[in-house]
Amino acid sequence: MKRNALVLAAIVWIGFALLPLVVDDWQLLQLAQFMTYGVFAMSLALIWGQAGLLCFGQAIFFGGGAYAMSLVTMGLIPGLPASSWLGLIAAMVLPALFANLLGRFLFYGRGLRGAHFGIVTLAIAVIAERLAINWEFIGGFNGLMGVPPLNLGIGGDLIDGLPVYYAILAVAVIVFALLAAMLSTPFGLALNALRNHEDRAAFLGYDNARLKLAIFTIAAAVAGLSGALFVAQFAFASPTLLGFGLSTEVLIWTALGGKSLLIAAFLGAVVVRVAENFLSEILGPLWLLGLGALFVLCVIFFPRGLIAELLLRLERLLPGGRR
Amino acid sequence: MDLILTLGLDALNFALAIVLVAMGLVIIFGLMNVINMAHGELFLLGAYTLVVVQQAGGGFWLGLILAPIVVGLVGLVLEELIIRHVYRRFLDTILATWGISIAIKQAVILGFGPASYTVDAPLQFGVDFLGTTYPAYRLFIMGVAVLVILLTLFVFFRTRFGLAARGVIANRSMAACLGINTRRLDRATFAFGAALAGLAGAVMAPQMSVDPQMGLGFLIPAFLAILTGGGGLTGTLLGASLVGGIDSTFAKLWSPVLAQVVVFAMAIVVIRLFPNGLLGGRGRR
Repeated sequence: MKRNALVLAAIVWIGFALLPLVVDDWQLLQLAQFMTYGVFAMSLALIWGQAGLLCFGQAIFFGGGAYAMSLVTMGLIPGLPASSWLGLIAAMVLPALFANLLGRFLFYGRGLRGAHFGIVTLAIAVIAERLAINWEFIGGFNGLMGVPPLNLGIGGDLIDGLPVYYAILAVAVIVFALLAAMLSTPFGLALNALRNHEDRAAFLGYDNARLKLAIFTIAAAVAGLSGALFVAQFAFASPTLLGFGLSTEVLIWTALGGKSLLIAAFLGAVVVRVAENFLSEILGPLWLLGLGALFVLCVIFFPRGLIAELLLRLERLLPGGRR
Repeated sequence: MDLILTLGLDALNFALAIVLVAMGLVIIFGLMNVINMAHGELFLLGAYTLVVVQQAGGGFWLGLILAPIVVGLVGLVLEELIIRHVYRRFLDTILATWGISIAIKQAVILGFGPASYTVDAPLQFGVDFLGTTYPAYRLFIMGVAVLVILLTLFVFFRTRFGLAARGVIANRSMAACLGINTRRLDRATFAFGAALAGLAGAVMAPQMSVDPQMGLGFLIPAFLAILTGGGGLTGTLLGASLVGGIDSTFAKLWSPVLAQVVVFAMAIVVIRLFPNGLLGGRGRR
């Protein structure tokens, strides 16, 4: 990662850390929830922006993580104690496992590319939602209610705004730092090669299928983690978390924010959700119409994303930036 | 025997309905290499055109004629304003049309509310058919689908426009060099595909509840039909018969939800094993 990009990212995170000085408790809780969406958006930015895989069903993993967390922390899995830590682990492992199996099927051999992958993941998201609605063990159509809040062994149940906010901010920063570090290794470079020209990357000796499988699995784990954090706050896991609607929303947040920068994708989710909070009451159904239109304009004129565009310009203004 | 016949007719009915929706998609994809995620919403607009015409006192048949015209015009505008900017960016066409679909759906909710409408259907009687009685309107839908297939074949293989279009599909830059106005062709193609979606929406409207979510229910089966079949007209017919046939058979014998799951899962497996589709020899990704 370039130095200026790191500086900007650090400024953003410090900004988030200082927010509690100006924001009240209730708003902090909401922001914390939006930050879980932000982590979710980073998972999509990881496979879409970095590896060029347009996934229309990223919510499968978010919802999978949410359900895993709910089942474990509600003590519905026989033989497992109801613990937040175990829940978080399950919420990362299960989606990653599923993504790994799915990826093995989809990427190897003749493999799926581009639009085929998108439409297949879209279909899987629809199936997943249908199955969740009809599976009584996980609550069927009504979902699972009364998911307990996070309890990490320090400070008891995290319910108040401040501890919840900082806990989730800490997770977001850790996830961001780990992913950014990962992307600055040769593995990250290979992913970008894959995104820019798949055949050329294969010609240079990279095992494309393995790279795709690896990043798909990692992104699923991140999405699962974000789903778990979300449901521990929201206290309610429903089939809509798995499906098509949320998959679409995260796509919009990531595209508006910027798919090729993790921090921009994160900000995209948070900013859109904050804006939605303010504007959807004033605008009503016009809000979604406007969001759709903005999304189209952004795809046409700012394919890098609005926030990423801004950040990249700022980056050039900092000392030592390329002008 | 009765059961088998009804099953067969239902399967055929659903398959032809999918063909009706998929036809516009396949034409736009084949010619322009644009994956039109807004196709379901163009279908939706066709159905709502019929609703509006009926509320204004016009009859079903007037609505059926107006729907493709209105939606075709919408397609023309969309192409001019949006689609033409992203032709060269394949994945972006998916996103842009996706955004269009959200905006259209929301505009419909603004205009008509989220609740569903019902449309008066003509031809409300049964037809005796090989010893069973089958709703006449369903036979009408099948007739329209067959007609659309024939019309498309005629346009593409018997007209100058079709010749030019096939030339562009085969080799876009060569066709442009030979003096074909590809810009105009793209515009006409998108409008034609949109008009087909509008027609499909109006034709199917009396059979389903007309609500803002109805587009998606047909979009995914149509996509899966195209991908399993391998595109092209014959591929789409094959894919649609597979998807439609399996879906309606399972739905009748088992449950609609499981039918959908089974069909989607099978389509995914087929797409994975035959990325070019069952009939697809030509290596188009």
